[in-house]
Amino acid sequence: MIKTSFQYDQTTARLYVEGLPDFSIGQEDGVIGILSGWRIELIGSHELEGKKEHLQSLMNVVQPYVRHRLSGVERSFGDPSSHVSIRPLEGSHEILLRSSQVGVNPLTIVLDDAELADLIRCLDDLILDHRVRIDWTIPANQPLLRRDLVDKVPFVKRFFTPVLGTSIFILTTSLFLTIPLPTLFEFSPSLVQPTDQKQ
Amino acid sequence: MNESSTTSSDSVEPFRTASPKKQNVFLRPHSVLGRKGLERLDLLLLAIESIDLNGGESLIWVAQQLGLENVFPNRVELWKQRCHNPLRRSTRRGSLDSTESEGLILLLCSMSQRLYPLIHQLLSSKEPIELSRERWKLLNKRLIHLMEERMNTRLSSVQRLMTPTKVKELSRQLVFTLALSAGPGGVDRLRASLLDPTP
Repeated sequence: MIKTSFQYDQTTARLYVEGLPDFSIGQEDGVIGILSGWRIELIGSHELEGKKEHLQSLMNVVQPYVRHRLSGVERSFGDPSSHVSIRPLEGSHEILLRSSQVGVNPLTIVLDDAELADLIRCLDDLILDHRVRIDWTIPANQPLLRRDLVDKVPFVKRFFTPVLGTSIFILTTSLFLTIPLPTLFEFSPSLVQPTDQKQ
Repeated sequence: MNESSTTSSDSVEPFRTASPKKQNVFLRPHSVLGRKGLERLDLLLLAIESIDLNGGESLIWVAQQLGLENVFPNRVELWKQRCHNPLRRSTRRGSLDSTESEGLILLLCSMSQRLYPLIHQLLSSKEPIELSRERWKLLNKRLIHLMEERMNTRLSSVQRLMTPTKVKELSRQLVFTLALSAGPGGVDRLRASLLDPTP
């Protein structure tokens, strides 16, 4: 059986995948339908490898993290129970990898902006490669919700408009309240003379 | 037997979207870019021109390579479409239709891919500090020059962008965005971020 491997290179990252075609669904030679292994080499850092689930976990946190960073939103992805998590760290990006083996300490990798871009480009190349026919479940790229973006706006700026609007409303209302009301006259019915009465 | 292949994505080739099986809801004809999206798109193209001194010509050449001659037949048409940015000196009313905005996004991602080595150099923390500082200084100088030339400097928002501290922050943000949206994988991501609502 022919084992196929592909390599995706960027300046500081190299992603290497190997696997076999899934003949049960009619895949031909030269494609990967079943991933048997993968490896990411980060220059000046660690070498990562694992099973498909681990690569999937990496994609599941890195892709939405990058999507949010594109919109200027800095937030963490990946909960403590997942294999991988990522968080912003003083101008860089910290990836925490937890091994599924008991007694192995989590591995921390700190990437700068250029290394993160290299990593995401390698992952993009893999996802878009028509020769790798694996159904990756990746969160779709969608516009963020307003509530996700609201943290970008400074606190003072965020509340300036509603505070100004409320102040203007209160001021205007107070001004109107200072205007004296006109004096009311009481008309007795005898003073009112009927006019144009119909016969 | 082992069959291996290396993928390098530095050549200009027609882009495919990340998920060809799924219909992308953001390609609907009525999904047009808002004011902020137009501003950001034009600023990103301006950043491309700041990095590549011959950026104007390169944009047209890449448009031809991508088969976008109908959308951008010449420099004037490209300029007219970029003039939808409300910050421009000679701004145009209305908004870009989906074909035009899609064309500009493809053009931007393709140019980012071509200039990726330079973008990587700018963002990398492994580069010599002095050299990196000089590169950013040159980039910021050119960005300010292009903004003075093309933007309506009477607008307070443009004046704010051109202050020395803000321009540093802006150029860093633009270059990082270019890095994360380089290549075919960046198209969906960039499009989604340009369609973000205004917070």
